Amino acid sequence: MSIQLNEGVHLHVLPTKKYKTVRLVIKFRAPLKAETITNRAMLSSLLETNSKKYPTQTELRSTLANLYGASFGLSVTKKGTEHMFTVGMNLVNERYLSEKTNILNDGIALLEEIIFNPNVANGQFDEGTFNREKENLLDYYSSIYDDKQAYASLSLQSLYFEDEDQKMPSIGTAEELEKITATSLFAYYQKMLQEDTIDIYVLGDVDENDIELAFRKFPFTPRKKATGSVFYQEPTRNNLKNEVEKQEVTQAKYNLAYETNTYYLEKDYFALQVFNGIFGGFPHSKLFVNVREKESLAYYASSSLDTFRGMMTVQTGIESAKVQQVSDIISVQLNEVQIGNFEEEAINQTKEMLKNQILQSEDNAPAFIERLYIYDIVGKNLSVDEWQAQVDAVTKEEIIAVANKIQLKATFFLTGEV
Amino acid sequence: MEKKHYDQLNETIYTETLENGLRVTLLPKNDFHKTYGLFTTNYGSIDNQFIPLGKTELVKVPDGVAHFLEHKMFEKEDGDVFNVFGKQGASANAFTSFTRTSYLFTSTNRILENVETLLDFVQEPYFTKETVEKEKGIIAQEIQMYDDEPDWRLFFGILGNLYPKHPLHIDIAGTVDSIMEITPEDLYECYHTFYHPSNMNLLVVGKMNPAEMMTTIRDNQDHKEFAPATEIVRHFPTETVADINVFDSIEMPVNRAKSIVGVKGVHPAPTGKAALVYKTKMNLLLTLLFGTTSENYLRLYDGGVIDDSFSFEFNLERTFHFIDIGGDAKEPTAFSEAIKEILLTAKDSSELTEANLTTVKKRMIGSALQSLNSIEYIANQYSQEAYGDASLFDLVPTIESIKLADIQQLAAEFMIKEHMSTFHILPKEANEG
Repeated sequence: MSIQLNEGVHLHVLPTKKYKTVRLVIKFRAPLKAETITNRAMLSSLLETNSKKYPTQTELRSTLANLYGASFGLSVTKKGTEHMFTVGMNLVNERYLSEKTNILNDGIALLEEIIFNPNVANGQFDEGTFNREKENLLDYYSSIYDDKQAYASLSLQSLYFEDEDQKMPSIGTAEELEKITATSLFAYYQKMLQEDTIDIYVLGDVDENDIELAFRKFPFTPRKKATGSVFYQEPTRNNLKNEVEKQEVTQAKYNLAYETNTYYLEKDYFALQVFNGIFGGFPHSKLFVNVREKESLAYYASSSLDTFRGMMTVQTGIESAKVQQVSDIISVQLNEVQIGNFEEEAINQTKEMLKNQILQSEDNAPAFIERLYIYDIVGKNLSVDEWQAQVDAVTKEEIIAVANKIQLKATFFLTGEV
Repeated sequence: MEKKHYDQLNETIYTETLENGLRVTLLPKNDFHKTYGLFTTNYGSIDNQFIPLGKTELVKVPDGVAHFLEHKMFEKEDGDVFNVFGKQGASANAFTSFTRTSYLFTSTNRILENVETLLDFVQEPYFTKETVEKEKGIIAQEIQMYDDEPDWRLFFGILGNLYPKHPLHIDIAGTVDSIMEITPEDLYECYHTFYHPSNMNLLVVGKMNPAEMMTTIRDNQDHKEFAPATEIVRHFPTETVADINVFDSIEMPVNRAKSIVGVKGVHPAPTGKAALVYKTKMNLLLTLLFGTTSENYLRLYDGGVIDDSFSFEFNLERTFHFIDIGGDAKEPTAFSEAIKEILLTAKDSSELTEANLTTVKKRMIGSALQSLNSIEYIANQYSQEAYGDASLFDLVPTIESIKLADIQQLAAEFMIKEHMSTFHILPKEANEG
């Protein structure tokens, strides 16, 4: 059941007896802008910490603990031209508890308190909370350097895109954070509360009418629902960008970014999925077999797709001195798919794996909600059967065609050799 | 086949020990699309000294053999097992811990076929000099990947301090040097000693018909021949409290310093059902002292001593148990001193109240119920924990049964200064990040 609570504010209730919990998700969606990403990341840290009624972390966390360990968290992500701010909560289904309680209503009330009654005084966020969370977020940014896989992947993204909005990590940057104050952030939060497109999801053994009544109390005012394409297309350029960075690492990271020009559920989408499975998405893929199994050059070598930005990336962890050999193998393997040098068996195996994946995601409440949300954003809706039929319908010719659209645009090499 | 129903949770478990000694557990969850099969041997990285099957003398094998063996199980004379699973729509994986090696698949169809493939590939070893040599490069890259991960180094730093002799301090995958010594003969020797069905268990969770599933498994095993089950003799070096290294640190090219405090359990831990009670008690104690609902957490967080990377855990496995509490730290010494202070005064801590215990119990019951949504979680818990017949489904009544006095007594017994150690990771001066 989907209902419009107000213009631009939708509630989706998904009753099921499958889980021992109820999952609540509130999605705030706004255009991806370099100047607001960091505000939103900082807000996710702040609102997770406390509220007016529960002004210390201990009070907020004790309230959650007393709701039988309600798990609660805020996060920020991006898809194409959009930035998403997500509030999520899991509550235990009351019927599995010995004690008589009303966890669901209390949980929803707590979400309302956190979103609409933040720890604010005199038009600004509580100074102490703000300063501490700012410092923690700055520390977090600096710790990304310590995680070499994440560091290499963000560096590649920044190299591949020319667009400032697309270059920026979904969690923002230290440079932007330095500009934000407790006052400016609260001003932004009010704007976000009024303007973001809102979608609320409730999944579990619940009564639709009760849920609607509970969320009707949330004072979300009408706003314009976001429309238009959420896909981002990087302007075509012909040059290949290569960047090498030296650090004191034991293992080098060699990552590549390709333009695919193929988007979520658009033409060639399913052919691209099968292509990715043959090329680098699974343990039977060409990258795994050739870089890892045949040549023993890596522990991991895989490819993944970003179908909201028409991009594919390859990631490997290798010995610095072997980079040329690895680079050659990756390029040869892509060419093999482009000229149709792969077996029917590889196609079938990949299709089986993809069909298995989509069915498995039905067993995971967060993944299931996420898929419905994405459907809503792109304005399409495929049942699992339809999805599987589309995968089955992909032909070898279509895979070859989609492979030939793929072009290498950037490589990032993090090497330990000086 | 025995059947046990858990009323409150509305779950039913079927178990059987087959003639060859294999313990089989089935947990049908027919609301789910997927099925998860997990085949586990009670053999991990710490089992590096033992009497091989059919011999009388103790041997010591190179570090990393259990993990190396796990990698090599997937390769057969006629190709890779991933391909067989792939054709049957299943994804497969494996992992090695200190005390266990597990092989698994998940799939949404052809479940019986996939279960047989799982049993067959693990029960048909195929190692040659050539395939063993080829794997060395891959595993060397895996080891080097972990070498660059500061959290992994921090964890092994504290293990090195607490267990300087026990093989627990050795990286599960071994070292780049030690794996170079591994031969097919080492692999076969370990395989025949530790992969006997009587040292293994099979768990299947998810969509299934339990009677049909058990018949398939039984038939599969009845057609294979195994040596008679014998007791496995393992050897571990003796360690005393005096062996504990109270402090050490390393430098790494990182931006953020890290600190970890460990407390070693020096007396043998309980086993079976009592182990579940013991572990639950310790988890409640640590949550009371360091959880996000504690005053300690608020004070340390607000004071900038800890941040969101802060974590604590209690590990209890075959032959060892210890606490570790760590995270990123602006001032690693301030971090470790604060943690030790809380531990040493734990038995009289103002955090240990009836009201706080009620809160953390509710939280723990809630998390236990939430985790039962995940087939993977259930399977991994089941195979990794050494509780005998006590299980995840006994957790809620176990949590409810624990009293404040039990927790205070545990704090007094366990938190001993001489059993503690600290390890720091410091940013290298020359780091330009």
